[in-house]
Amino acid sequence: MENLLQLLLTTVQIGSVYVLFALGLTIIFGVLKIVNFAHSQFFTLSALLVAVVIPWLMEEGYSLFNAYLFGLVIGIAGAAMLGVLTYQVGFRWFQRDMVGSFILSAGLVLLFEGIYLEVFGGAVRSVPPLVEGTISVLGAGLSAQRLLICIIAVMLTGGLAWVLAKTRFGNALRAVSIDHEAAMLQGIPYKSIAFHGFIFATLIGAIAGALIAPVSSVSPTFGDSFLVKGFIAVVIGGLGSVPGAIIGSLLIAAIEAFGGFYFDPSSASLAIFVLVMLMLLVRPNGVLGRG
Amino acid sequence: MANQKFFVCCVAVLAIAVASHFFGAGYGAKLMIWIALAALVASTLRFVMLIGELNFATAAFYGIGAYTAGVATTMLEWPFIVSFLAGGVVAALISTVFGFITLRTKGPYFLLIGFAFAEVMRIIYTKMDWLGGNSGLIGIFVPEALDVYLTPFVILVSGSLIGILYLIEVSNVGKIFTAIKDNEGVARSVGIRVHLSKVACFVIASFAVGIAGSLHAYTNNVISPGDFGFLLSTFALAYLKVGGEEHPLGPILGAALLILLNALALDSGLNEHIFYGAAIVAAMLLLPKGVAGLVGRWFTADRCEPGVKVVARRAQ
Repeated sequence: MENLLQLLLTTVQIGSVYVLFALGLTIIFGVLKIVNFAHSQFFTLSALLVAVVIPWLMEEGYSLFNAYLFGLVIGIAGAAMLGVLTYQVGFRWFQRDMVGSFILSAGLVLLFEGIYLEVFGGAVRSVPPLVEGTISVLGAGLSAQRLLICIIAVMLTGGLAWVLAKTRFGNALRAVSIDHEAAMLQGIPYKSIAFHGFIFATLIGAIAGALIAPVSSVSPTFGDSFLVKGFIAVVIGGLGSVPGAIIGSLLIAAIEAFGGFYFDPSSASLAIFVLVMLMLLVRPNGVLGRG
Repeated sequence: MANQKFFVCCVAVLAIAVASHFFGAGYGAKLMIWIALAALVASTLRFVMLIGELNFATAAFYGIGAYTAGVATTMLEWPFIVSFLAGGVVAALISTVFGFITLRTKGPYFLLIGFAFAEVMRIIYTKMDWLGGNSGLIGIFVPEALDVYLTPFVILVSGSLIGILYLIEVSNVGKIFTAIKDNEGVARSVGIRVHLSKVACFVIASFAVGIAGSLHAYTNNVISPGDFGFLLSTFALAYLKVGGEEHPLGPILGAALLILLNALALDSGLNEHIFYGAAIVAAMLLLPKGVAGLVGRWFTADRCEPGVKVVARRAQ
């Protein structure tokens, strides 16, 4: 029972970060019809900046709370700025060009990863915790830091789901992802929605990176494993589908938590892959995918 | 006209192979081997693009070929020619099953599954202790009689496989592939078995990739799981994109150009990832047709009219 609860908590905790990551991927695919490998690089930059800035600010004499505040803001803002630059210089010219945009994003992955390695070095960094101690929930122990991050991530996911379902912007994003020409005929400004959708998704990815940084060991290749899992989650759920991305991410997190506990982490990765293959046999466009 | 060009290219490959023998076994020979293998892998990537798919499982089948050749040589001690071909055959067999399942999907789904497959194969190599785990296999050598001729051998094999891929491309089979890319529904309506044709295209490409992997194992003598990550597919993409994907010589040009430039760049201490990344990004933004598109009429005389392209792109 205690194990089960512990594993469920772990699932929610990894799952919420996967959800944030996969939501960014699925929104970008929905709006621009591009497969953005470089998404993980915004995530990594944000995590790297957080992991560099917080210890530095603390040395400069800022309080722990202020250091965290500034660190998170700098991380997220830096990644968002890189996102704007990438879109304006690159992806703007490759909307709805699946192969071209993918190749561009693969090149960006190499380029950014190389630059991070030169700038930040290959060393693994970690951040001092904001809150100490562990909290026990119904007998299952969880560090307070992780619990805090988990709560923030779940709230963010809820907020995002609300933005996408209820606001004008969310409606426009979903309309464009279903049929961008029909959406344009309805008076939705496609170009501006495409830009804002990309930045919105990048921002979510940056927030996910900033959130996970304090409980991970951050390195320039930090985002790679998230990229693989995020994309598998999106493929399982159906590219472009928001609920699909959430379900897929939670499913992968559950397999990882339970499989990692009862077997070992690499068997869990294999199980995830086998699951995807089986699912593609039954539903080639994902559980909630459209044609 | 096309035949003449093909003949010229065949002679060129032969000449390079013979010339490479006199380079000895130093750094120059290594570079030529890398270029030959890179050109072969990039050409298979281009071959699968004939059906309109981007094959990121390339790294997986390259690894399968290398590991098969390695196991056959070091553990089973099969004769060289059998182990060498086994790399291609096993890659083709596995790709038949993989392709049969995944080619029911298209575009981004196929691409991402291939990407995931490459990562999974890498995990499998590290998990299998009899495959050497993280440190991989060592001591994969060609027979002594062939050792002196290794560079010409690699160039000849790569050159002939690229030639065969080209011959398939211009044959009727190649026209079927292009028809599928242009419009699957129309192809199906005239009685083409679309799914089987796609699998066939994928398996042919995977066989060539497997052979490339096999050659990699024999020329490197050592293989480890880290060699076969998705970076391998990304680099192949860089060769294809920089060289230009519209012309069969594009991947060869791209591989030669990037590998030689990279060898120069490494001397000056530039990071390899930055170099390849910048090359891809620059090629995408500035040279949509790659170097082959720039070099001149000789390379691009038989491409289709630019006007037709624009209409086709709008129709999508």
